[in-house]
Amino acid sequence: MLADVAVTLQQWPIIGRRPEIEVFERALGSGELAGLVIHGRAGTGKTRLADEYRQQAAAAGHPTERVAGSRTTALVPLAAVVALLAGGLGRPGPDGQVDTVALFEQTRQALHQHHRGRRLVTVADDASLLDAASLALIGYLAAQGTIFLIATVRTGEPVPDLVTSLWRDGRLERVDIGDLSRAHLDTLLHLVLGGPMEAGAGREFWEVTRGNPLYVRELVLGGLESGALVDRSGVWHLEGRLPSTTRLLDLVEQRIGLLSAQARSVVELLALCEPLELGYLETAAPAGVLESLERAGLVTITVADQEVRLAHPLHGRVVRAAMPRSRARAILLAQAQRLEDGHPVPGPAALQIATWRLDAGGRPDPAVLIRGAHLARHAHDFRLVRRLIEAVPGEQLDAVGALLLGEALYELGVFDAADQILAHGQQQPSSAHVALRLAVTRAKNAQWGLCQPEAALAINATARTVITSSPLAEELVADEASVLTFSGQPGRALAVLERITGGDRRTRVVRAIAGAPALAMTGRTAEAVRVAEAGYADHVALGDELAIAHPAMHIVNQVFALSEAGRLAEAEQLAQAGAEIAASDRVPIAQIFFAVNLGRVATLQGRVATARRYYAEAAGLAQASHFDGPRRIALSGLALAHAMLADADAATQALAERATGPAFGFRGPEQQLGDAWTAMASRRPAQAAQQLRDAAAQAATTGHRTVESWLLHDLMRIGAQDTSARLRELADACDSPLVSARARHSAAARARSARDLTGAADDFEALGALLLAAEAAAGAAEAFSRDGDQRAATAALRRSSALAAACEGAVTPGLFRAATAVPLSGREREIVMLAAQGLTSKDIAERLYLSVRTVNNHLQHAYTKLGVNGRAGLAQALGSTA
Amino acid sequence: MTPEQITLVQSSFDRLGPQLPAMATRFYQELFARDPALRPLFTTPMAEQKVRFAEKLTEIVRAMPRLDELLIHTRALGARHAGYGVRAADYQTLGGALLAALAAELGDSFDAPTREAWALAYNLVAETMLEGAAAARPIGS
Repeated sequence: MLADVAVTLQQWPIIGRRPEIEVFERALGSGELAGLVIHGRAGTGKTRLADEYRQQAAAAGHPTERVAGSRTTALVPLAAVVALLAGGLGRPGPDGQVDTVALFEQTRQALHQHHRGRRLVTVADDASLLDAASLALIGYLAAQGTIFLIATVRTGEPVPDLVTSLWRDGRLERVDIGDLSRAHLDTLLHLVLGGPMEAGAGREFWEVTRGNPLYVRELVLGGLESGALVDRSGVWHLEGRLPSTTRLLDLVEQRIGLLSAQARSVVELLALCEPLELGYLETAAPAGVLESLERAGLVTITVADQEVRLAHPLHGRVVRAAMPRSRARAILLAQAQRLEDGHPVPGPAALQIATWRLDAGGRPDPAVLIRGAHLARHAHDFRLVRRLIEAVPGEQLDAVGALLLGEALYELGVFDAADQILAHGQQQPSSAHVALRLAVTRAKNAQWGLCQPEAALAINATARTVITSSPLAEELVADEASVLTFSGQPGRALAVLERITGGDRRTRVVRAIAGAPALAMTGRTAEAVRVAEAGYADHVALGDELAIAHPAMHIVNQVFALSEAGRLAEAEQLAQAGAEIAASDRVPIAQIFFAVNLGRVATLQGRVATARRYYAEAAGLAQASHFDGPRRIALSGLALAHAMLADADAATQALAERATGPAFGFRGPEQQLGDAWTAMASRRPAQAAQQLRDAAAQAATTGHRTVESWLLHDLMRIGAQDTSARLRELADACDSPLVSARARHSAAARARSARDLTGAADDFEALGALLLAAEAAAGAAEAFSRDGDQRAATAALRRSSALAAACEGAVTPGLFRAATAVPLSGREREIVMLAAQGLTSKDIAERLYLSVRTVNNHLQHAYTKLGVNGRAGLAQALGSTA
Repeated sequence: MTPEQITLVQSSFDRLGPQLPAMATRFYQELFARDPALRPLFTTPMAEQKVRFAEKLTEIVRAMPRLDELLIHTRALGARHAGYGVRAADYQTLGGALLAALAAELGDSFDAPTREAWALAYNLVAETMLEGAAAARPIGS
């Protein structure tokens, strides 16, 4: 996609300016007007708009020209408008001087003749910087109707007399342009990058640029160049911060450079320490300075909280970059001192003080650094936590500091360093509470980051020998269960949780995190939903604590439990809401799991293309935050979705990508659905069946009842084996209507009972599992036909194709039941099914990566075999309503 | 747009299902209520117009995840509308009418995130239609 972006960038699209373009069309069309002037602040795109005007005029057959003012051409009269001087530079008169009136008239006549009376559409960019003679010539030509003037004038710069006089005469149209709205920014980014952007990245663009088109452009270019802006599976992600570019610096520097020394020092102060209290600044800055900065659009004052900040975040960056180190240091130290004097008690100011001291290159008090790190952690700013703690000299780093740093490193995906620092912390003297949190965090890092559940269990076991008092001992047991749940052993996890008798609120929160998914996996879905809900409530009541997951993880668990309970629509809705929270709080692990679960729900619903999109997004997020284990789950799901769309190559590719990471036990048997369906799509049904059998056996030993039912049901769906007996047992052991529906479906298929297959289709449809419903209905059609009830068979077929139409192009063996009597090849079936859904040959060719001719050849063969004449006959043969 | 927003547009559109013709009817009601002056721009018989609208909207929503394909549809559509004299300001009115029609037909499920996703999708479509219109209608012609 990078190459496409580069091509697109040569012509930056013009967004949100169509009304202004229409103003130009009308102005040029009317004989009355001599021109148009574009006003706006720096970077709003005046030049771009003027050039767009010029291009449009040229396209309509007008001759065009462009002149531009600059600080250098302003020194030489007429230097800027040489391009217009068609009649030469004029001849000196007897007195040795050029008669300007004669020169202007010569120029007019020459242009008139040259362009055969058509008005020359002339852009005068940065008109304020043109010299007086050039302005006079342009004014003359515009007034005479020789040129149609398009002038740009930057807000705040003097408006040339020529513009004011034409304006006064009503011969000039005025266009004011500002920054883009958020929606227009979104559209601009979408068009320039050629695809969607992850929510967090979109928000960052808005926050940094506030819709200023030039900033957007510079930051996109800078982001692509530095690799901060990356395309992961068709979705743009932002990894790291947006860089600034030289051009951006110049631009802002120009604006700041014109300020008085007093005003500049206020801007510098704000650039380092914003926001500042209005009351303080009013006493610190001379009278009038703040007002003039506000008028110039450089600072904004919020009345509600009486705070002053820079109007544009980028101004701060640029000013900071340009400021001498010594000066920045002096300002920061003075402000830190001021704050410390005013706020002697440790509070939120501690963070400010510590960061300012650090920025100043000083050595803040380690106690203040650690206090500051606590506050930064509270704001989930793990980069700042890391920075603050890493400034503490190694020999002074105590257990609490190590805990904060270890957790931050884990959150930032630096797992090896996290393990080291946490181990260091465990060797320092500490309270039992801190010792517990060090152990828990280190185990979590081993489990999720390093993908070593055995190491996590060992860390937990060691801690349990040392920490034996209640409620800490109980929490460690809950944590052991958590490791077991998330390494794919729900049965053992629940057994461990049984051991807990007491404990406090915190223990309950950890129990819920471990317990809810384990309950859901073992088929106690109603209880799982309740535990997740209660866990969330407890977690919120607990407040901010160290060494514990983000509250959103309970929502992740609830989504999972709902989907295992077959409450697919609720799961989807909750996951979408949760994903928003996770994105705005920047909790990557929760973001990944929301995307994974959305993919999973979509798979169960049969919306396979949607599933593919979510899984791809989850894989991208996981890669960006270095979570190899969750990435494995996402890539397995991606392979499954590709395979159900009959894209064997892409599915194989996803599995190959997955093979580069370590093994990960969480949802282990489920991961093998990806392998099995890829084998199916690659026409290796025996292998697919074996993989499903192995995975189901594994699920049976670890207590993954709901997934065992999924795997066994799929074994039946691919026509490999009757699994109805075990599915019945599982349905009895679980409280999930989805698990029950699978059992009913397989029993009905075994009995070839048309009525029961119809019932299974009803069950699946009620749950929103439309692909399974379509397959059951197809099975019913086959059974009706065998029973000789052709009418019922036709109706069931209709129903099956209507349901399949909602499945976004899914291609599964169960959908082909209708045509089982007809000896079609696999490819022919695939194509016939798509054609029956109403897709054109072109659509089919695109979807299957075939040529249109190949598709048509396959269709012809299929027509012959089915004994029909064409597409319409095909639909009839398959009983489709299409 | 985010991938989730694209999905949201598609899934809410899919939910319309058989209500699509009703949505089309509602769209034109909303549109002409907002700006009666737009009515004369539509010379095709209304019944046919609605069918065309529903077809186009379906194509566009399907193409939403693939920008190249989307642009082919929207630019061509914009170019066609330029001939009817549709202006930038009219696109605002059209957008308002579309959101109102969707809200009416989808009811409670047209929640704030869905509305936002549709607003962004419409903005993308409108801007690229306008681009197509500009290319098709040189000024002064």
